[in-house]
Amino acid sequence: MENRLLINLIPGETFLHKLTGKTKVRTFIILLVFIIMSFDMRLILPLFILGIIGLRSLEPNWKTIKYFFIVIGAVNLLNIVLFWLADPDIGAYWCGGGHTVLFSLSGRFYLTAETLWYLSVRYIKMITSFMVSLVFILSITPSEMAAGLYSIKVPYKICTIFSIAFRYIPDIGRDFNNIKVSLQTRGVELDPKKVSLKSRLKQNVLILVPLIITSFDRVGNISNAMDLRGYGRGKTRTYYSEHEELKADKVFKVIYTILLLFCVYWIITQNIMPQTFKMWYPFA
Amino acid sequence: MSTPIVEFKNFGFKYKSQTSATLHDINLTINKGEKVLILGPSGSGKSTLANCINGLNPFSYDGVITGSCKIAGMETKNASIFALSKVVGTVLQDSDAQFVGLSVGEDIAFALENQSMPREEMLPKVERAAGIVGMTDFMMHVPYDLSGGQKQKVALAGVLHGDVDILIFDEPLASLDPRMGMTAVELIDRIHKEQNKTVLIIEHRLEDVLHCHVDRIILMNEGRIVYDGVPDKLLASDLLTRYGIREPLYIMAMKYAGCELFPNQNLSDIQHMDISPFEEKLKKQHMVDIEKHVPKIGEEILKVENVTFAYGKNPVLKDISFTIRRGEKVAFVGKNGAGKSTMAKLICGIVRPREGRVLMNGSDYMNLSIKEIGERIGYVMQNPNQMLVKDIIKDEVELAMLLRGKSRKEIDEAVKEALKMCGLYPMRNWPISAVSYGQKKRVTIASILVLQPEIIILDEPTAGQDFRHYTEIMEFLDELNREYGITIVFITHDMHLAIQYTDRAVVFSEGEVVADDSVFKVLSNDQVIERANLKQTSLYTLAMRLGLDPEAYIEHFINYERMMRAHGKQAAD
Repeated sequence: MENRLLINLIPGETFLHKLTGKTKVRTFIILLVFIIMSFDMRLILPLFILGIIGLRSLEPNWKTIKYFFIVIGAVNLLNIVLFWLADPDIGAYWCGGGHTVLFSLSGRFYLTAETLWYLSVRYIKMITSFMVSLVFILSITPSEMAAGLYSIKVPYKICTIFSIAFRYIPDIGRDFNNIKVSLQTRGVELDPKKVSLKSRLKQNVLILVPLIITSFDRVGNISNAMDLRGYGRGKTRTYYSEHEELKADKVFKVIYTILLLFCVYWIITQNIMPQTFKMWYPFA
Repeated sequence: MSTPIVEFKNFGFKYKSQTSATLHDINLTINKGEKVLILGPSGSGKSTLANCINGLNPFSYDGVITGSCKIAGMETKNASIFALSKVVGTVLQDSDAQFVGLSVGEDIAFALENQSMPREEMLPKVERAAGIVGMTDFMMHVPYDLSGGQKQKVALAGVLHGDVDILIFDEPLASLDPRMGMTAVELIDRIHKEQNKTVLIIEHRLEDVLHCHVDRIILMNEGRIVYDGVPDKLLASDLLTRYGIREPLYIMAMKYAGCELFPNQNLSDIQHMDISPFEEKLKKQHMVDIEKHVPKIGEEILKVENVTFAYGKNPVLKDISFTIRRGEKVAFVGKNGAGKSTMAKLICGIVRPREGRVLMNGSDYMNLSIKEIGERIGYVMQNPNQMLVKDIIKDEVELAMLLRGKSRKEIDEAVKEALKMCGLYPMRNWPISAVSYGQKKRVTIASILVLQPEIIILDEPTAGQDFRHYTEIMEFLDELNREYGITIVFITHDMHLAIQYTDRAVVFSEGEVVADDSVFKVLSNDQVIERANLKQTSLYTLAMRLGLDPEAYIEHFINYERMMRAHGKQAAD
């Protein structure tokens, strides 16, 4: 009932869940670099497939994530349709100047094979980056996230923000509900059928006043509790949630190191000193 | 032999934000291994004293220290809160906010994480600490799944590591139901004995703490120590009443009976004290004829019929039926999660029943909106800060009328009436931030009363209040009931409140009503007490020891007490 977020607070039981936070954070960051740098179906498609496998292996609650998939899928579809509308010949620039018309509606609106290819790469890239992020979010707990960030030299006070925020978001949500309900009994109307959006917004502001005051009280207590247990005493910190590295973590370490080297190579050859502006196009 | 571990010498403390000092002339020595209760009404400085020991003062709350305070030989003026945290472990009052980890294991490990302890060393320590408080089976639980008592155990485990010599418990009973409170007191006692720690308990609920032996009580008032000695001597004196601390019920009963109490009578231990010198007087007192309290109640105002409710698939209320009559004062009691708050929400229309009906004055009102129900049934939340949205008292009180688009004249009349009922009329233009907690509570009640509801429901009206404020609020509610005939429902786990101020208790346990009867009947039914996480009052124990029927004894006591209160009132008027 309390945890309606996607985020797990307690690590799950599947293979990816059991990796350390360090492995998860590092792999994720390198994969993000990988996705950003590559505009090449040969690189994106394998990751896309791995993303599907990874997501399935986490045994997620499909009901909740289905909604996200629909939204992200639709928004990106709209995005590439707009791209196409803006310039139906956009593929020609990327795929070596070819102009193979598949069908045409009018002189202005036509679809070329090159544009279709370019837009599919673009779409799959977007979906892949969403999927990789989703796998990351579903597989990690906020504490592991803190530990993982700490392992890449992020100061621990910043790391703590992640774990603390997720710890208290449900509490603040509960306060919000309580306050809302008490104001409703006093006559604040939040039913969209009965009052206009403007007055609902105005009445929602009323809820914020007590919410802020109670949250400040809580923050005071939290910071006292942390001070009293020596938080902020040392320059370094360890993490209870960060278990020792398992075999899988070592395997991942090898994989992400190789991937990192590949990314460096690719960025240098393809992004910094490119030979051509062409993308890989098998049907040229 | 005994080594001092806490030494205050001519100590004083003044918060930077305040004009006068909060602590004056504190001279206090606590020896290693002692178990000390620091007692005092709100604002007496007892929490300030504790915060001077654990270093929150002046680390978190800036202020000026005069005199000297040494903790384990360290002068606190020069020591950091971190150095002190190695010697002093503190369990704060708010068991929820101090749970900073995302799981039990993580929270217990928090202090060790901060010391950069490698994980392999950390694990056995966390395991050990969890074992001491009995939370080993809950290591992977998230805080949202734990009860207040369990969170408190985790907080305690979190400060048990290493060389901590002193344990401070800041109002450990404040958010616990009676049974959990008893368990907490027993746990503290066990830790004190087994781990050889020095224990300081800050509380104003004397009777509950005395469930286990305490070596010494320090009574504070207005920033000074007014008593420092053994519990028995304090109980025999009249200092408790003088400084606004509630006396244990059995002591009250003995004083009512005219027993002369002496410090050498083992008064703090009702189970083992020698009762023979008091027996005759107590029994005689029990025979005194007093007028039975008959509540002025009218016709049925609220009727709950076979109501069932669930959050998703978790049934919260199962086939509940009861009635409330006009002018009654009813307590909903039961442990957290038993369904008492959900029942209250259901009555206010915040949630709607899956099955069954709720009737008010004979008609089902579940088709009305929350706003409409709010005009007939008012709901006062536990924490006034969660209800107050305006700056000025008058604005707060008129909000509900304003939102209903009433005319200015109507509003002014209703506001004036509500403010007068709550004794706030002279303060109507004051900023809310300038009034005390108890007055804020009154403002919230006034802001509900302005709609002239027939029933008001109060969620834990006295939580976190000391005896004086508690009495003030309860007397005020009593008056509303008496003078204006308002029906009042309390949601509470405070049995003192239920005994002294209500006519009837509806006891919830796991979504069912397990008892619906007068409070003294409920409190003499072992089975109900067991199921609802309540505990026997000391009156029950006293009656048993005297060989009297507990039910009759408790009833007699309550009636006598009501009579005394009424007399006290008359005398004051």
